[in-house]
Amino acid sequence: MEKHKISEADRIEASNLMEEASDILDSCIKCGMCKSLCPVFKTLKEERVSARGKAIILSDKIMNKVVFECTLCKGCEQKCPLGIKVCDAIRKAREAMVLKGKGLKSNEEMIDNIRKTGNPFGKNIGNDPEKLYCC
Amino acid sequence: MNKDIKKIYEVDASQLKGSALDVVSPTNTEEVRRIITQTKNIVIRGAGTGLAGGCVPQHGSDVVLDMSKMDKISELDKERRTIEIEAGVILDDLQDYLSDFNLEFPVKPSSHAVVTIGGMIATDAVGNRAIKYRKTSDWIKWIEIIDSFGKVEKRGITELSDYSGMEGISGVIMRACLKLSPLKKRTATLLEVDNLDDVTSVVRKLKKNSAVSMIEFFDKEISKELGFDEHYHLIVEYEDDSGELKDKEYKKLLALRDKIYPFVADKGYTRIEDPKIMLDRFVKLMSWLESKNIPTFGHIGVGILHPCFNHEQEKYISEMMKLVKRLSGQISGEHGVGILKKEFVEMNDKKILINVKKRTDPLNKFNVGKVI
Ligand SMILES: Cc1cc2nc3c(=O)[nH]c(=O)nc-3n(C[C@H](O)[C@H](O)[C@H](O)COP(=O)(O)OP(=O)(O)OC[C@H]3O[C@@H](n4cnc5c(N)ncnc54)[C@H](O)[C@@H]3O)c2cc1C
Ligand code: SF4
Ligand code: SF4
Repeated sequence: MEKHKISEADRIEASNLMEEASDILDSCIKCGMCKSLCPVFKTLKEERVSARGKAIILSDKIMNKVVFECTLCKGCEQKCPLGIKVCDAIRKAREAMVLKGKGLKSNEEMIDNIRKTGNPFGKNIGNDPEKLYCC
Repeated sequence: MNKDIKKIYEVDASQLKGSALDVVSPTNTEEVRRIITQTKNIVIRGAGTGLAGGCVPQHGSDVVLDMSKMDKISELDKERRTIEIEAGVILDDLQDYLSDFNLEFPVKPSSHAVVTIGGMIATDAVGNRAIKYRKTSDWIKWIEIIDSFGKVEKRGITELSDYSGMEGISGVIMRACLKLSPLKKRTATLLEVDNLDDVTSVVRKLKKNSAVSMIEFFDKEISKELGFDEHYHLIVEYEDDSGELKDKEYKKLLALRDKIYPFVADKGYTRIEDPKIMLDRFVKLMSWLESKNIPTFGHIGVGILHPCFNHEQEKYISEMMKLVKRLSGQISGEHGVGILKKEFVEMNDKKILINVKKRTDPLNKFNVGKVI
């Protein structure tokens, strides 16, 4: 895929979004209770994918692909004793990474496929490229 | 491991930050053995809910051994009421599994939803029901450990104290055979108490009731924060129908109890301590804590209190430890020493710990710089 040049406006927006994500997670006290309902942690058993893991790197405004390893299910928010809006922070970080051209290749391919064929797999199952066809 | 991701394993619930050389997450005993024989310094990590920095790597040369993937549950013996499990099993996952057989592991720290059995054994975790079920080590039949030479060995009850409560300085706990208890139907009552002397006498009376499995205390400040009247409160749990709160209401109250520490930490009281004192000294310690405006809650049934200090108040911690010692109490009732409480360990205790360390970890490989 061709690498696009990042505009100054996107760079500024990305930095603002990372700042906002970091602010949301600033009050995290690292108690780890958010792991208890996290489907990604439960499957992989890796702390890095937990909300606490994401909070640790995002509060340092670090862009890392681990923010895409999340279903945005809000399980962590339900368990977080401080009610931290983890998903809002993750969404902002994802947006910032996409703006900086650091999104996931697979996501870009998926969007490209939807645009061209109307379905995420790039299969010609419908005949109107403006419509989203179900897989 | 990528240096950004490594940061995640350089912190625990104590919020202390360290630095690691690498992080490894083995899935079986052979892998752990290989890692141990090839690595100079290892810091063992369970769920990272420790409040004393026990799993925080301090030296850039430490390799973090994350036990989370060692999570197999096997060999339930329903008749003998025992189960063999790996150290990375999460307590609530174990409870879910056991509930199908009407059994439970009765020790319940407030971190039960995420805590690992290995971490509980290593810290000899106590928890809310200590008044009836004491501590983790009372419910262990044997453990399997790996020593600094990579040798796998079983340790029975007589040698358990070399590992339980030693916070990982003596070796890696790999598996354990746990004793179980029949699953209980529980109820609870929230009691409001006017003054500290009354708290002591109510607790003394409740302790005589064999149906009582938990007595939790919170002070006026915490009561207010939780939305109750500004009095002292006790949560009393019963293993029969005597509690006023049942089913949903009971669960709601207990869930609130689990949230107290994170809740006060959010208000800036981030340093939580865990002194243990006898009930007849409770008023003395509490009066001192109140004079310094330090919010406090705890497992009063067994004398463990959790005073919570903000940054400004941290200067009072050593004064409190001195008072606890003067009152013949212990500086840590359940969270362990880790990094945070090293300076408060008595010389005699330190000598004992050093001897255990030398005997069990002659290569000085595990959790170096912690506890002693
Ligand atoms: C909200 C909250 C509530 C809590 N409530 C309680 C409570 O009620 N009672 C209580 O006792 N504690 C409580 N704690 C503290 C903490 O949950 C306990 O200390 C717990 O036992 C730590 O287990 P862990 O799996 O998180 O271990 P970690 O924090 O990862 O490690 C703790 C120590 O054990 C060692 N360790 C871990 N696994 C192993 C292993 N397999 N072999 C050898 N050493 C190992 C580590 O090196 C470290 O020294 C609470 C903590 C929080 C955040
Ligand atoms: S929202 Fe993401 S981090 Fe939170 S519980 Fe769901 S998968 Fe885990
Ligand atoms: S539960 Fe909330 S405060 Fe605790 S580690 Fe997770 S995000 Fe942070």
